Amino acid sequence: MNKKRGICAATLATLCLALVTPVFAQSGDPLAVGRKMLVEDNPGELWIDQGKALFYEKRGPRKVSLEQCDFGMGPGKLEGAAARLPRYFADTDRVEDLETRLLTCMTRLQGFDRDQLIKTAISAPASKGSDIEALALYITSRSNGVRVNVSLSHQKEYDMYKAGEYLFYRRSGQTDFGCVQCHGEAGKRIRLQDLIHMTSKAGAQEVSSTWPAYRGSHYVVRTMQWRLNDCVWQMRLPDLKYATDYSIALTTFLNRQGNDAVIQVPGFKR
Amino acid sequence: MKNFTLWTLSAAAGLLFAGCATYPDQATTRQMAEKMVFEAFSASPAHLKRLEQDRSQQICSKVGDAKLSQDEAAELVKLARESIKYPASGQIVGNWKTGDMLAHDGAGDRIRDGKTENRQENGALCQNCHALAPGEINVGNLGPALTGYGKQRGNSEAVAKYTYDKIYNAWVYFPCSNMPRLGATGHLTPEQIAHMVAYLIDPQSPINK
Ligand code: HEC
Ligand code: HEC
Repeated sequence: MNKKRGICAATLATLCLALVTPVFAQSGDPLAVGRKMLVEDNPGELWIDQGKALFYEKRGPRKVSLEQCDFGMGPGKLEGAAARLPRYFADTDRVEDLETRLLTCMTRLQGFDRDQLIKTAISAPASKGSDIEALALYITSRSNGVRVNVSLSHQKEYDMYKAGEYLFYRRSGQTDFGCVQCHGEAGKRIRLQDLIHMTSKAGAQEVSSTWPAYRGSHYVVRTMQWRLNDCVWQMRLPDLKYATDYSIALTTFLNRQGNDAVIQVPGFKR
Repeated sequence: MKNFTLWTLSAAAGLLFAGCATYPDQATTRQMAEKMVFEAFSASPAHLKRLEQDRSQQICSKVGDAKLSQDEAAELVKLARESIKYPASGQIVGNWKTGDMLAHDGAGDRIRDGKTENRQENGALCQNCHALAPGEINVGNLGPALTGYGKQRGNSEAVAKYTYDKIYNAWVYFPCSNMPRLGATGHLTPEQIAHMVAYLIDPQSPINK
């Protein structure tokens, strides 16, 4: 359905990349250029600048930037902040993941309407993406090279972690699925789709260090919230709301299991 | 009493500040997490029902490597046995061609924007997890390959019955396995399961070629 638009967007992205990466153009061998771009260039990079611009722009009814937003390291301090999420925030008295924290700041600081933000948070395939997707990627990219370090020192963080673990194993619905049915063993596939083995350290580390990611088949950057929605849909559960404790708990569990992985975003997914 | 409250409060505060929060006990975790489940989805009451666990699902949701007790295993087998229903016709071997089509169909009953997928019947999902006819590439490996299933086991009544029961409620033979209880949960009808049996055991079926 969206194939055609998708291909256009992909071509555009490729063109843009070709423009901003003249280094490769000099190598003379067009195939080598293509190959190199596949390995080294991730179209998702384009979203980082978009996110950065959104972060510093004075926006929303209150016309302020997100520079006063505290992602856990102090207002506006982004270096390494995403590596420690989810975490407890005293100002909301709850554990928040990246996307929830963004919502908090965009509503409290900038005055955006929460429901409106949520409505557009997950973009259509082959679109230019949502503000939240771009912001989430930009903020996480400021932790590139930093090791994931989710701490459970606050009681609410412990509680969240344990709830996430419980939910990972919780089976329900007409397929009897919990997360562990698809992500509990190595070398497993649903059809041809490789399933990450998340009860292993390496698998959890892959999860904790590669999101947000560019989704090749959608031509947009996707966040963890989108990923959870998609898995829950396959499980035949109802529509998962955006930024609820259910997602935060699972993300706390997975990221904590994935501690010590070196963050490198955008990840690149099928 | 007052003293006790004060003491607990300061102990709790001490825990927090010392950064040595303690894991909640299992019952507390369960209570918190279950609340999260029922707050996390927007759905009609009919769809919300899907979040409720039946007794078997509750038992089969153990965290980590926790093992089933003997009593639990026995209870699961009993529940599984009791769940199995046969087609009104009494025929547990249906049409392999219909079974073939269903086996390769991974859709059905998924929910998006409050709407259930609009289809005549649910796909059987087998291809998602099992290798089927020889040479098919787009198959999962969550379950064992079923290629040559009938060739190896024949198509006796006993094999048909085992296969029917296994598909209707996989946990009758393997409590808590990763295979969904496709009949017992209502994903497939008894008639559809009879078609699946035919697909697996009929010598004419591509799976046995
Ligand atoms: C029916 C199978 C199934 C179930 C159940 C399932 N998932 Fe997934 N999961 C998938 C598939 C398929 C992918 C994507 C693989 C791909 O894109 O190639 C995936 C991918 C993921 C990823 C991204 C991994 C990465 O970094 O690339 C995460 C995180 C994830 N799942 C978490 C969960 C959680 C949490 C649950 C339970 C709430 C869950 N999944 C339940 C099938 C499942
Ligand atoms: C989500 C994964 C999944 C789906 C979907 C699934 N199965 Fe399975 N199946 C398994 C697993 C895992 C096993 C091994 C554990 C067990 O026996 O329960 C298995 C075992 C079996 C067995 C027993 C094999 C033996 O050697 O006795 C049969 C028969 C079978 N499946 C048939 C089917 C059919 C037919 C379908 C579709 C109608 C189907 N399965 C759908 C995962 C699945």
